[in-house]
Amino acid sequence: MFLEQNLLGVGVMINKLFEASFFRLCNDKSLRVKRFCELFPMNKSLIIFALLVFLIGSVSALGVTPARTTIDFEPGLKRTVSFSVVNSESKDMSLIISPQGELNSSISLKENSVTMSSDEQSKQLSYDITLPNELSPGLHIAEVVILQLPEKSATSEAYVGAALAVVTQLYVHVPYPGKYAEADLNIVNAEQGEDVVFIIPIANRGEFDLVSVKANIDIYNKLNEKVTSFNTATISVGSKERKELVSKWKADAPVGTYRAVVTLTYDGETINLEKQFNIGKEELELQQLEVNDFSLGDIAKMEMLVENKWSEQISGAYSQMQIYNEEEELVADFSSANYDIPALSKKLIVSYWDTAGVKPETYEAKVFLKYADISSQKNLQLKVSENKIEVIGLGYVVSSEGSEGDDNLVFILIVGIVVLILINLLWFLLLRKKLKSNRM
Amino acid sequence: MKTKHIYAIDLVLIVGTFMGLIFLVGYSQPLVISPLNEFETTNSSVLFSIEGAEFILIDDNNEFTSPEKFIVEDGLMINLKPGVYYWKVESVLKSEVRKLTINSEVDLKLKELGEGYEITNAGNTRLDVEVYNGTSLISKIKLDTDEEKNVFGTKFVGGWGNDK
Repeated sequence: MFLEQNLLGVGVMINKLFEASFFRLCNDKSLRVKRFCELFPMNKSLIIFALLVFLIGSVSALGVTPARTTIDFEPGLKRTVSFSVVNSESKDMSLIISPQGELNSSISLKENSVTMSSDEQSKQLSYDITLPNELSPGLHIAEVVILQLPEKSATSEAYVGAALAVVTQLYVHVPYPGKYAEADLNIVNAEQGEDVVFIIPIANRGEFDLVSVKANIDIYNKLNEKVTSFNTATISVGSKERKELVSKWKADAPVGTYRAVVTLTYDGETINLEKQFNIGKEELELQQLEVNDFSLGDIAKMEMLVENKWSEQISGAYSQMQIYNEEEELVADFSSANYDIPALSKKLIVSYWDTAGVKPETYEAKVFLKYADISSQKNLQLKVSENKIEVIGLGYVVSSEGSEGDDNLVFILIVGIVVLILINLLWFLLLRKKLKSNRM
Repeated sequence: MKTKHIYAIDLVLIVGTFMGLIFLVGYSQPLVISPLNEFETTNSSVLFSIEGAEFILIDDNNEFTSPEKFIVEDGLMINLKPGVYYWKVESVLKSEVRKLTINSEVDLKLKELGEGYEITNAGNTRLDVEVYNGTSLISKIKLDTDEEKNVFGTKFVGGWGNDK
């Protein structure tokens, strides 16, 4: 920061030092130095310095929060909206603030220009809005632009560099006459047999409450055949309110891509929504790893049987194997060629390991299956002997964090309550009566 | 044994049972340390500090109609888009519901390169950046958070872009 702020001063100092060194150097009488000085005359130092300054480049940054303020329209509404300008690069800044956009005449700024010093991280500012008495239904936008002026040239009044500006937006939602809703569709994918979750957020942008909002969801497969159809619950959504319809569907259907067609109905009106989702995911599973006809010192042919569990072809899949010795040092790292594996089928992926110099012992190995953006890993052991490689433990590492602690808590809670009940029963039903009868 | 001694034991037992139950419930209740209720930030990555819980549920409504569920682990950071969120944790018992606000922030960084500029979206919203040469608008660029692009121009104006 200091360098940037005082670049010119520091630059002059560097330049002077450079010139002084250059002068001392060129006063040297040796032939090699003489040649150097002829090749690089004194003014070359200035060029080198200019290049240095050019390469450093300057960084400027400007922020504003919140990036957007949303309000619901009310005729003649007056409100003060606050925002903060963020001096992310901790620089001295001159800022110009101005409104723009459709509602710019509704905005009155308290300050049109401000300065920020390098030690000010942020500055809170505000503007007043006065909405008109009438606006057409829908969304209306105003923007407040905060412009950071570029730095002034050291030699003239001209600005050097680019100007940077950020915008804080004002969204004004004007209700539609009568009943009007906006809706969206979000789907949470699931594995086969689990629940796919359909979330339909509904924003009531109308003047009146929506009494009965519900949706019908049709599911289609890739062949455009209807798989199932079901209805959500019915809810009501007040004016300017936002609510969600949530429905779950147990995915008892083949793995693959599906399409949800949603017909949302609210008080006689309909909205149609559509989205694709997946049951299961693109998955390759390593089922078997074999090494046949092996002789230590030769090239081992590693044959991996891989199953494509996805309902479409997975293209460009390959395996990578990393082998570690007992000292956990990487002994080998090799990959197969790329393979295309048809839907719901198995294929043999072949890779080769040069075992020259490999000792007969047991090695830890990591096998990666890489396809699309996915990399699935299996850990196993390779027991290498003179004429055999035995593959041990072809199993995925499964983490089961969390459940143990939870079980302990349940156990402690149950034991504690049972102990308390027993003590109370023992006292009130047995000991207490006994003591009382003894007294009598 | 005198009657008053029996009553004293009754009292000790009832109070002891009551306190024991309070202790057991308190012990089973997850301990939610941070973030505090009504916490506001512009940082999209929020560090959750929780003890004795298995899951965190986060939703944009306090009825938790469509919560996202996260497994609790050490140093759990969750990335959230700007907005208001409600969250609670689950174990044997559920915790209180806390509110968390990620304030939107537009932050545009400009780095001078040889012949142009590198612009970076350093905020937490998608950015629409208008690039001007003098007073003429020459291009519009979309920048995801932390994305950077090399551009030419003399003025860059960044505002929150639509997600779609």
